[in-house]
Order: sequence, then C-alpha cells, then structure tokens
Amino acid sequence: MIALKNIFKWYNVGGNRNFILKDINLDIQQGEFISIMGPSGSGKSTLLNIIGMLDEASEGTYIFQDQEVFRLKEKQRSQLYKDYIGFVFQAYHLIDELTVYENIETPLIYKDMKSSERKAIVADILDRFGIVGKKDLFPNQLSGGQQQLVGIARALASKPKLILADEPTGNLNSKQGEEIMELFKQLNKEDGITIIQVTHSEKNAAYGSRIINLLDGRIDTNTTL
Amino acid sequence: MLKNHIKSALRNLQRYQYVSLINILGLTVGITCCLLILAFVLDELNYDRFHKNAQNIYRVERTFLNPDNKTISLELGAVAPPFAQLLQNDFKEIKSITSILPGGEATLQYNNKIFNERDFYFTDENLFNVFDVTLLKGNPLTALKEPYSIMLTEESAKKYFGDTDPINKLIKLNQQFTCKVTGVYQALPSNSHWHPELMMSFSTLRDSSIYGAEQLRTNWGNNSFYDYILLPENYNPKNLEAQFPAFIDRHVPDDANKASKWTSISLKKLTDIHLRSHKDSELEENGDIKRVYVFSIIGLLILIIACINYMNLATARSSLRAKEIGVRKVAGASKSELVAQFLSESVLICCFATLLSCVLTWLVLPWLNGIAGKSLTINNLLQAKIILPAIILPFIIGILSGIYPALFLSSFKPVKVLKGLIKTGERTLSMRKVLVVFQFAVSIILIISTVIVFQQLSYIQNKSLGFEKDRVLVISENAGLNNSYQSFKNDLLSNTAIKNVARSSRIPSGRLLDANGSQISNGNTLAPTKADIKYVTADEDFIPAYSVKIKAGRNFKGTDGSDTSSFILNESAVRALGLPSNESAIGKQFKYGDRTGQITGVINDFNFESLHQRILPLVLLNSRVRNDYNRISVKITGDPQTAISHIQNTWKKHLPEVPFEYNFLDDRFSDLYKSEKQQQTIFSLFACIAILIACLGLFGLSAFTITQRIKEIGIRKVLGASVVGIVQLLSIDFLLLVGIAALIAFPITWYAMKNWLSDFAYRIDIAWWVFLAASAIALIIAFATISFQAVKAAIANPVKSLRTE
Repeated sequence: MIALKNIFKWYNVGGNRNFILKDINLDIQQGEFISIMGPSGSGKSTLLNIIGMLDEASEGTYIFQDQEVFRLKEKQRSQLYKDYIGFVFQAYHLIDELTVYENIETPLIYKDMKSSERKAIVADILDRFGIVGKKDLFPNQLSGGQQQLVGIARALASKPKLILADEPTGNLNSKQGEEIMELFKQLNKEDGITIIQVTHSEKNAAYGSRIINLLDGRIDTNTTL
Repeated sequence: MLKNHIKSALRNLQRYQYVSLINILGLTVGITCCLLILAFVLDELNYDRFHKNAQNIYRVERTFLNPDNKTISLELGAVAPPFAQLLQNDFKEIKSITSILPGGEATLQYNNKIFNERDFYFTDENLFNVFDVTLLKGNPLTALKEPYSIMLTEESAKKYFGDTDPINKLIKLNQQFTCKVTGVYQALPSNSHWHPELMMSFSTLRDSSIYGAEQLRTNWGNNSFYDYILLPENYNPKNLEAQFPAFIDRHVPDDANKASKWTSISLKKLTDIHLRSHKDSELEENGDIKRVYVFSIIGLLILIIACINYMNLATARSSLRAKEIGVRKVAGASKSELVAQFLSESVLICCFATLLSCVLTWLVLPWLNGIAGKSLTINNLLQAKIILPAIILPFIIGILSGIYPALFLSSFKPVKVLKGLIKTGERTLSMRKVLVVFQFAVSIILIISTVIVFQQLSYIQNKSLGFEKDRVLVISENAGLNNSYQSFKNDLLSNTAIKNVARSSRIPSGRLLDANGSQISNGNTLAPTKADIKYVTADEDFIPAYSVKIKAGRNFKGTDGSDTSSFILNESAVRALGLPSNESAIGKQFKYGDRTGQITGVINDFNFESLHQRILPLVLLNSRVRNDYNRISVKITGDPQTAISHIQNTWKKHLPEVPFEYNFLDDRFSDLYKSEKQQQTIFSLFACIAILIACLGLFGLSAFTITQRIKEIGIRKVLGASVVGIVQLLSIDFLLLVGIAALIAFPITWYAMKNWLSDFAYRIDIAWWVFLAASAIALIIAFATISFQAVKAAIANPVKSLRTE
C-alpha cells in the first residue's frame, strides 16, 4: 500500500541543512497497525505528515496505492487523500463552531456527497460510536475522551483505507486512552483499516502489529510483533 | 455546500459578536452613505430627462464679447426677443422653437384671494411641442393662443379656486389686467431646471402696455427670453452652430454688419443645463457637476474605509481561525472551497449591513433632504437604478473586502497551523498598516477640508463689504406706487424707526448684468472708452441708505430721483476709465449709453455682488422713467418689529390690494452662500462618519494586537515596566500610522482646497496650523480609541496572562 524510498527531509537554517528525516525506507501493507515511536525531535510527526500528504519530503520517492505521490498534481493528490486517508490528532482539532454531527459531516461535504447520503453515513457512525445523544452538542460541551471519539468518528466518516493518528491518547487519561486504543484495534481487525499511529507509550504501541523506532531522523529498529 | 457555508458563517458571527458588530456597523454606515449619495447623484443626473424629447432639445444662449480682445464680458442663458422667429425662418432643421420669458413677480387676485407669485412665466403655444407639459384641464392647442390666457399648476389652481373648475374663470393680474384661465397643468417634477407655477400666453406680450409687438421684433438688447429648440433625432447641433455667426451678421443691427465680432449665440443641451451651465442669467439656480463628483468620491471613500475595516479585522483574527482552516484542510477542503467559505461569510455580513442600511437610508432621507435642499422621497429610492445596486452591492463589497482575507487565510499550511507554528499576523502586518494609513488619510483630508470651508464661510460673512448690509429691509417696487411714491416715502419716514428709503434697479446681493458703452471727454470731444462699466439705476437715497462713502464730489441732486444728467462712479470705474484720481473725475463730461452728462461723484468700491465675484466698475444713475426702479430698500434704525409693522401699515394704506412681502438684505447675502453652507454641513458630516468608521476599525484592530501581545505585556510588567510605559509601547505603532496618514493627506488637501477656494474672488489663505490641528484631532481620537484597550491590558495582573500559557 505504501512504499517510502530514500526519504529525506531538511530545513535550511542559516545556510546549514537541518535534517529531520534521513534516508527513510519503509514498506507498509494494507491491514497493518503500525506504531511509530522515538524520542522528541526524532521526526515521528514529520514522517506521519509526509505519509498523510500534509507535508512533502525534500528528497525521495513516495508510492501510495501504486501512484507516485510527489509527482501528482495538487488536485489528484487531494483526491487521493480524500478517498483514502483519515487523520486523528492529539488535540482532537474539532471545529468549535460546529456540532458533533456537523464535525463528522465535514469531510463528506468536501467529497461532494449528496445531503441524503451524508445523513445516512453520519447517522450510521453516530450509532456505531454510541454518541447519537450527543450529536447536537458543541465540542466544548464534551470531555476529552468524547472529543477524541468524535475526532475518530470524523476520520472514519469518509471510509478511509488508512488512518493516521498523531498521539491520539496524548491528552487523555489512561482509561479513556485504553478505550480509544481498543477502538483502533477493533477498526484494524474487523474493518481491515490500515492504522499508523505515533505514540510515546510502550503500552499503546503494543496494540499494533509492528513498531518502528526512529532516532535522529533514521529508522533505528523495525520490529514486527 | 452553500448551506454549510452560511451555517458556519452565522456561527462565526455569533461567536465573535463584537467583531461582527464592528463590521456590520461600519459597513452599514458606509453603505448608507453610498445609497444616499447614489440617490442624490442620480437625481442630479436625471434633471430634465423626463421630457421625451430631452435628447434633442437645446437652449439658445447669447454671449457678449469685448470687441478688443474677444474676452467674454457677459454670458447669458437667454437671448433677445427677435431671435426666436428669425431662427425658425432661417433654419429648416429646427422642428420647433419655444420662448419663455420670466414674468418677475406678479400679484394675482381672484375674488378675495390675493397672492404674490414668483414663478410666473410667459410661454408660447410651441411649449407643448418641445416640452412634456401635461394638461390636466384645457386644450393644449388653444390654451396659450389668445392674449391674456393663463395656465396654472394643479396646486395653484386649488389655491385660488378651491374645488371649483377653474377653466374660463377670470383672474386679475397686477390689479390691471383680466386674464382667463385656459388650462391646469401638472407641476413639473422637482428635477426640472425650471418650475413655472403660472404660465401666461406669450401673445399677451404683443400688447404695448405689457411689452409691445414692435419691441418683440426689434429689441435686441433685452436678453431675457429663454428660447428652446427641438432638433431632429441624431442631428449634430454643431452643424447648426456653425451657421450662427453668419446668422448674427445677417440680422443683429451693427454699423458694419459685423455683429458677430461682439456677440454670438450657441446651443446648450437641455440635459446639460442643470449641472453644466453657470451663465450670468439662468431661470433658476443650477447644480454643479463638480459637486456631484466630489460627493461621489466621498461616498466611495467612506465605503472603502468600511471595507478596509472588514479586511483588517478578518486578517487580524486569522490566528483564531487558523485551527479551523487547518482542520478543514485535513478534512479534505481545497483552497477554492475555503475561499468560497470565507467569501460567503463576508457576503453574508454585507447582506446584513445592506439590509440595515436600507432601513437607515429610509430613516435619514428626510434629514438629507433638509441639508441637501432636495425633495427625494422613498419613490426616488425605489427605482431600478438604486434597488439593483442595493442587491448587488453586498456581493461586490463582500467579495471586494473578503477576497484578500479569504486568499490569505486559505493559504495556511495545515501542518503548521495545527502545530501552532505560524505566527499569524506578522505576515499581513504591513498590508494592514497600509490600509489603516489610507483610512486615516481620508479622515484627515475631510477634517481639514471641513475646517477650511468653515473658515472661508465665516470670512465671507464677516468681511467688510464696503457698505452696511445690516438692518436693510427690501421690498419689491409695485406699479401701483408709480404715482404716489413720494407720499409713500414720506409716510414711511414719518416714523423714527425708519432712516432712509431708497429705490434702485438692483440691490446688493444681486448680480450686475446691465451695461452700456461709455465715452469720456478728451479735450473738447467725447472719446469712446474700452471700460466695461455696469450700471444700476438708483435714486439719491441709495448712497445714504447703504452707507456707501462718497470719496469725491457729491450725491445726486434733488429729492425725487430726477437728476438724470449726473453720473456717480465707483473707484474701480474711475480706474477703468484711466483717470488719475477720484477728484480728477469730478466734472468730466461723460456719455453712458445714449445719456450724456457729468461725473458728479465717486463712491468707494463695495461688494455689490457675492464674494465669488470681483468688484466691477459701476456707475449709478437716476432713472429717466419712474418704473425703472424695481426695489425699495428701507434702512431701519430702531426696533425692527416696530419698523416692520410701520412699513406694513404704510404699504396697506397705499396698496391695500397687494400682499406685503419683504426680506432682509443680510438674509439675501447669506442665501448667496447656501450651496457652500450645504457643502460645509455635508463635509463635516462625512468627516465625522469617516473618522468614526476608521476608529471603529482601529478599536478592533488594537484589541487584537493587544491580545496577541498579552504575554509580552505580562513579562514586561514582571520585569518592572510601568503602566504608562506599556500604554506607550502599545499605542506608538498606531499613532505613527496616523502621523504618516497626515503627511499623505496634507498635499492632497492643500491642492483640493486651493481649487475650491479659487471659486471665490475673496478668499482666505490656507493656514498651516489647520493641518496640524486636524492631525492633532485625528491623533487624539485615535489615541483615545487605542488607549481604552491599552490601559486595560497594562493594568491587568501579569500573573493571569502568564498563567494562561
């Protein structure tokens, strides 16, 4: 599904190249649940963003579903992204002005889906996540765990093949965190969704099928559990 | 998608209430100004367009040239009476020609109803061929045919006849002539360049006791007939004008048959009269295209200022919207979708503002009418040319003011904003500064202009005119006084409250348009002079009544205004005649027109006309016919109320049938500057609005800047900064912008006001301190606006702001 070849990422700081990622080579198959770990500043989030097409590498090749991402035009890339990828953030990043229902609906709107179709999908997801009763609440009326649940529901709304999660439990207490991780595991097992998460926690990492350890922008270890 | 955009826009409006309020308020005021000005401008531009032939009607106008240097000495909107018939005879392309003669003031009487009528005109039968005058009663083919036929507006008819049918009723004119009512017509709309209340058949003028058929054929000097011609569709008036010089040579009496050397006629398009004609004689006071331009520009500038508020606040708030933009992008929004979202937000705000301003416009319209001297009604607003812009405006303004913030906001990189990496605000700071400078430059320009207009007007009102205009009451001479004037005058003077009673053909505050050629003794013979000297007929009381100073020689002799061989010149005339001194003029033989006599006195130069005009050479002479005096000026000394009631009683005694009407000379003088006073009101109004909107924006902007620097303020306070120091720190940036705005405003205002002042022959010098004072005002207002926020931030407990990390 994903193949990264010789990915480099650097910033120019006063004439010097400041490398974030150095020569990353990585293959990810459909249905995998991967945890990326590493100390702060090791390039975890950058790698995740490159995979998520939110950022571009300075050098290298990225093949996603047999398409060379960096050679695609903006529009094609955006289409690819909309069809396959969902994002979950540490700080949830729900839109404060929109209700739970509307937050989940947003990616569908951008996919130009008909109103009736959207209704059906959102209703289905609300039901599945057990948050039907909260659909008219605004994000600030929810607890952190509930917000993240909505965040995941939103990421799933467009039926992605790949979910990218950047420390999804970082702002949650351990019980809420466990529930979220269980949810990821379930999505991976039952729906066959590929999941890549960035995490600091060994415990959360253990939910996945493979752990990639980054150190100073390089892949340090690549362990299949 | 659109529904979604609108929903999120509404939520945003609700969430950031006070910013929304500032935006909507600013735009509402801006759009209201725009709509009002649009209504005003459209009304001005539509003058006389209601005639279906409007595009093919032209007024014939006459110009007099100084034969020596071909400069224009007099430009009239009217011509002499023989022209109409001759033009019709000579030029087959003229489809129809109609003459209008203003009848001056007339007293009309029906039974016991007597009124003085001002808007009284002689009109001929062709009137209906050229103009669209709707007859409500009567037959247009015959209504103006017979002598002594009279037509009235519906309103005037009601005044005299109530609900009875006026047709064929007899009505008395000036106590002398009996006229028959032959028609009732619909009054011409307010945007017509003339508003006749009464029209009398032109054929009446053939009566020699009124004007005389011979006079109509031969009087080339009485240029008060307004002739309008109807030309064929798409005919180029230049073709006709090219033949006029030959026409003039053919017909106008001149020793060498070369009358075109000193006089010419030309055509003015009917629809250009109101805005583009400023002749020495006009039927009514016209508007001015310059004023239309100035108002349009001001309206547009105020709208732009309001739009700038939106742009500045939207980009300043970008930090608050950054997260939402990031999330939407991650959710798959493309740039164009985000641009559409932000644009629908700004359009929505503008829609609200437009709706509000429609209501506001409707509410303030009567008030605008008051200051602009218009009678616009809601119907003037409910026309396609205003409704259409009102519907389109929100979209244009919304897109105009929204496009920059939209492009700016939608260009955020999601990764960065979601990580809080972007320091929003920095990038757009310079753009925002430019916009703030623009806003304040406009405000300062308007403030300075207001002050200068104010100064000029008060200068005019207080300038010494060379005579006393106070306590002079003016009444119209009436034919009924012709034989009893002396006893009328004596009766007036019997009360001590009356000091002088004088008669003259014109009174100060009027124009000086009558002129004749002059000759002055050169040795034993009289030699023609090149001096262009205007004349006023006046009796011996004129000089004392107006306290004009006699510099040399004496006043007229006698007590009944019959010293017809004496000439009294003003000093300008003495100079124009090339005489070395006032004294040297006395006793000189002088011929003026066909009258020969001596220069017996020299008076000081005084401003007979408005201060727009220079003082012209002037000669005063006694009239040879009694009724050549049109005005009676009464100088009063005692209590004005006693004086007025005394004059009224005397009037009633001598002229029981004529309503007594009077006005004060100083009121007439202030009327001369009506349009300038209007401008002053409107300028000061717009200056206030501009600075209000600009400050509204500054208020919002400074609030955001300060919020963004709240942590910095906390740290500085912990490090020991004083409140004053912090307020200074927060204000200085903005005040600097106002300073730059002032520097930009100075040369523009200086140039514009220099131009405006050039319309006055007597004007103030533009003082430098006005510029400084205006900038100081702007600075103080700006500082007050900012410091409200700055002080609040500066006295806040730093622990709070630092803890919110």
